[in-house]
Amino acid sequence: MFSRKQNSQATVSNDMANKQKRYEVLVLALHTDIFRYACWLVKNKTVAEDIVQETFLRAWKSLDSLKDEKAAKSWLITILRRENARRFERKQFDLVDIDDVSVMDDQLSNEVEIEHRELRAIMASLSEEYREPLMLQIVFGYSGDEIAQQLDLNKNTVMTRLFRARNQVKEALDKANDIRGSKNG
Amino acid sequence: MDDLEFRRTLYADPNCTDEQILAAIAEDPKKQAFCKELKQLDKNMQKASQIKVPDDLVHKLMLRQTMQSHRTSKVRNRIQLAMAASLAFVVGVSFTMWQQQNLLNIADQAIAHVYQEGSHALDAQDNVSLQQVNAKLAQFGGEFTEELGQVYYASICDFENVRSLHMVMQGENGKVSVFVIPHDDTHNAQSFASGRGYQSQAMDVNRASIVVVGEEGADIRGIKEQLKRKIHFSA
Repeated sequence: MFSRKQNSQATVSNDMANKQKRYEVLVLALHTDIFRYACWLVKNKTVAEDIVQETFLRAWKSLDSLKDEKAAKSWLITILRRENARRFERKQFDLVDIDDVSVMDDQLSNEVEIEHRELRAIMASLSEEYREPLMLQIVFGYSGDEIAQQLDLNKNTVMTRLFRARNQVKEALDKANDIRGSKNG
Repeated sequence: MDDLEFRRTLYADPNCTDEQILAAIAEDPKKQAFCKELKQLDKNMQKASQIKVPDDLVHKLMLRQTMQSHRTSKVRNRIQLAMAASLAFVVGVSFTMWQQQNLLNIADQAIAHVYQEGSHALDAQDNVSLQQVNAKLAQFGGEFTEELGQVYYASICDFENVRSLHMVMQGENGKVSVFVIPHDDTHNAQSFASGRGYQSQAMDVNRASIVVVGEEGADIRGIKEQLKRKIHFSA
């Protein structure tokens, strides 16, 4: 009777170890991308970190429902977006729109970084409906179809938003260059 | 494809692999430059999007999961224990009930015995003395300490595979059959029964059960009490 119990316990802990392993792989492989995506979604590193933690906790709880490892990324993004939406249900806290990117990254030194900083500010200033598909395309390399599926949108809508997003970024960059140009000139 | 549509498509996806687009790019150096510029912008945006991930994030993610799984496994252990306990309880209760249901109702059995046997014992007119009865009862380690009144018949007989004493006595109204049956775990010693013109009551005395069978309507309680008082078992 006791040996039987030990056996079943061994299987349980074996299953547990397997699950643990899967989870660890998932975290290591995707936490960077998911965190960055969260940052761009909420434009605040601290909040992003919270959401990412909630996301992975939820992922752990329902890890058994993830059958295909290839779908892991979009699965996590779905959880993340749901967590983000839940955040607004929970409480309406005063989220400061951080167009000032200094909060996004605190270590800026060289010229390239400064250039990135400018671009970041512009990207952050895009409205969410443009920013989100753009980030999926740029950070995750998603195709138009994949973005449409992930965001549950029509593909034409996605393409239009991507077009407008780039258009806005470009316009803002040109404007900034003009200002810099006139200042310098 | 007009220029506007070309720009729109490329703006939406600079790495577009549409054949028409690719052909248009190949034809026109201006479009090539435009495409290159967009790809450069994408590269820049991609670089700009690479926000530094906090070093401890991985550890935090692992830790929270470990805590969580520890908590759930504790809860699960408790639930499993509770399930096992309730299961054991149900098994125990149902086994007891099953066992009780399977106890042989010796009152019923006594009526059947008397009925089957017919007149053989009931019509017997032997005058059995107390000594003779006690001699038979001695096998079970018991004896009657007082006179029982008229005993018409006394014999060892088989009562559902248990050797027992079968007597026929004079009761208050009519003859009664009495069985003295050594204890058996499968017997229900506290039963009552009636049927086939008879009624019977069983009782528990020390190391044996006594079943009294009388005709229906006859009062057999008196003789039952009397027997209980008079029978003694050596320790």
